[in-house]
Amino acid sequence: MANSDERIQVASAFILQSPPGEINDVLNDVRVIVNDDDILEDGLLPALREYNLAQFILADVPDADHQTIVSDVARIQDSGEEEERFLDPRSKTSFRFDHLRLATSDPRSEEPDPAAEPFRAALESAALSYLAAHYIDGVAAIFSSQPPSHFTVQIVSNKYNPTNFWSGRWRSQYYIDFAESKMIQGKILVNVHYYEQGNVQLETSHDLSIPIPPAIANASPNAAVNKIFALIETEETRLQTSLNESYHEMSEKAFKGLRRALPLTRQKIDWDKVTGYKLGAELTASKGAFVLAS
Amino acid sequence: MGDPVDSMLDLMRRLPPTRVEENVNSLIQICPDYADDLLGSVDQPLKVLTDHATGREYLACDYNRDGDSYRSPWSNEYDPPLEDGTTPSPKLRKLEISANEAFDTYRELYYEGGVSSVYLWELEDGGFAGVVLLKKVMDPSSPDEPSGSWDSVHVFETVERGRQAHYKLTSTVMLQLVTRRAEDTQANTVGIQDQKASDHGSKSSGEVILGGSMTRQTEQDWPLHDSSSHITNTGRMIEEMEIKMRNLLQEVYFGKTRDVVYDLRSIDDLDKTRKQRELQKELVGFIKR
Repeated sequence: MANSDERIQVASAFILQSPPGEINDVLNDVRVIVNDDDILEDGLLPALREYNLAQFILADVPDADHQTIVSDVARIQDSGEEEERFLDPRSKTSFRFDHLRLATSDPRSEEPDPAAEPFRAALESAALSYLAAHYIDGVAAIFSSQPPSHFTVQIVSNKYNPTNFWSGRWRSQYYIDFAESKMIQGKILVNVHYYEQGNVQLETSHDLSIPIPPAIANASPNAAVNKIFALIETEETRLQTSLNESYHEMSEKAFKGLRRALPLTRQKIDWDKVTGYKLGAELTASKGAFVLAS
Repeated sequence: MGDPVDSMLDLMRRLPPTRVEENVNSLIQICPDYADDLLGSVDQPLKVLTDHATGREYLACDYNRDGDSYRSPWSNEYDPPLEDGTTPSPKLRKLEISANEAFDTYRELYYEGGVSSVYLWELEDGGFAGVVLLKKVMDPSSPDEPSGSWDSVHVFETVERGRQAHYKLTSTVMLQLVTRRAEDTQANTVGIQDQKASDHGSKSSGEVILGGSMTRQTEQDWPLHDSSSHITNTGRMIEEMEIKMRNLLQEVYFGKTRDVVYDLRSIDDLDKTRKQRELQKELVGFIKR
């Protein structure tokens, strides 16, 4: 057995690779393999936290009937406390988060930045309409960031179907800079796991940057946020369509080039001839049929 | 607590297939006692080696490994050389040579390239077992062309029963496909003039990786005329299995994973669809009245 530091390191690497919705399965496997809950209990917490933040894990907001995204952007900076807190900008509440049990606690109301809040709230309501139009189980969180006139939009959509051995996660994030670059920097990540008698995974990552047209920058907040989401909608739909194109290319160019559905003759192999030709010199005459094989 | 090997195999079915080698090595590092169980039951992409005696390429896996050496099916030699490396009996080696030739033909007809190798070994109860390996890699001809690799591992066991032979076949296909894209879309919004599109148009770049493996099993009885019947019998079984699995892979890779993406996000406006449906219901109700 390797020493406990090595075991924690390996177990942490496994945790960080968990497919959507399967963190508990991976955790259970890791517990049996390492067989030392004492070192895992504390040792795995950094990896669980890193996984949750990177994967936009959802948290039930205390005293609210919606969920929010636990991520690096949601983290309250310099709260001056030992325990880390996360912000739900929609309910203006911060909370503590248990990264193992995914439970929230200790809610506290937070005062939003008065200069940024009207626009952030407008973005949020546009985001909710956008979610209703394109996501079945989507959750969005919109944060106002520093410096002023910077906002971050995060969207996550999860589907877990263990009965049919598949799961999926869509994450997108847009950093909107109205002040300097007047750009939207976006990242879309889609992961799918299919594991019925196998293990097949789709991993896609997509980076994009969209200039904010001056017409939007000068519009009223309500008109501007709708246009921002129209741009996001265009890009996300474009990504989904281009994924279809990538699939088509991979199928036509790579998949078909790797292995044919049938030999050129369009017939299955005559195995008696294959072994006969190779084994018996008297069948050399039939070599023409297998000229490809020589 | 459960059995560690079961948990290791469950873990390998969940973690990304693109990192299987790294993850198997990590497991061996923390649980060296289970190295043989892991290497024997987790399929990893096949390594291509070159036979020094014949210059031909062959495939390396756990079944032609002895210590740190691998046996070539072409020369029957181990690399690095082994004095007392395990080899099949002369009779089985003869069959192994024929099987390698037959599956080399199969490889050329279906893969039009790539590498194949067949290894046979005696079983303690009198029968024998074997593995048929096929691998092909496609490198992209340009950066935006897709690339891919296909690895087949067919493990079979056979027992002779008079003029019949019973076969148990376990087939795994590992398939990986990758596409990378980068594009500058022309500025599609008004108000941008006299500026280079590359500076002010939207830009996007992305990567799509579809990777994984699927495993299927079958058991069949086939007539036995002479020892070469084993080649024609396993040949037919493996050909049938690969045709089935190719269809299955196509369905899962390009169908199922795509469906899940569309379950996560819909291209069509769900709100509009909902409203249309409600309107339709109202109309139906109106007509009924």
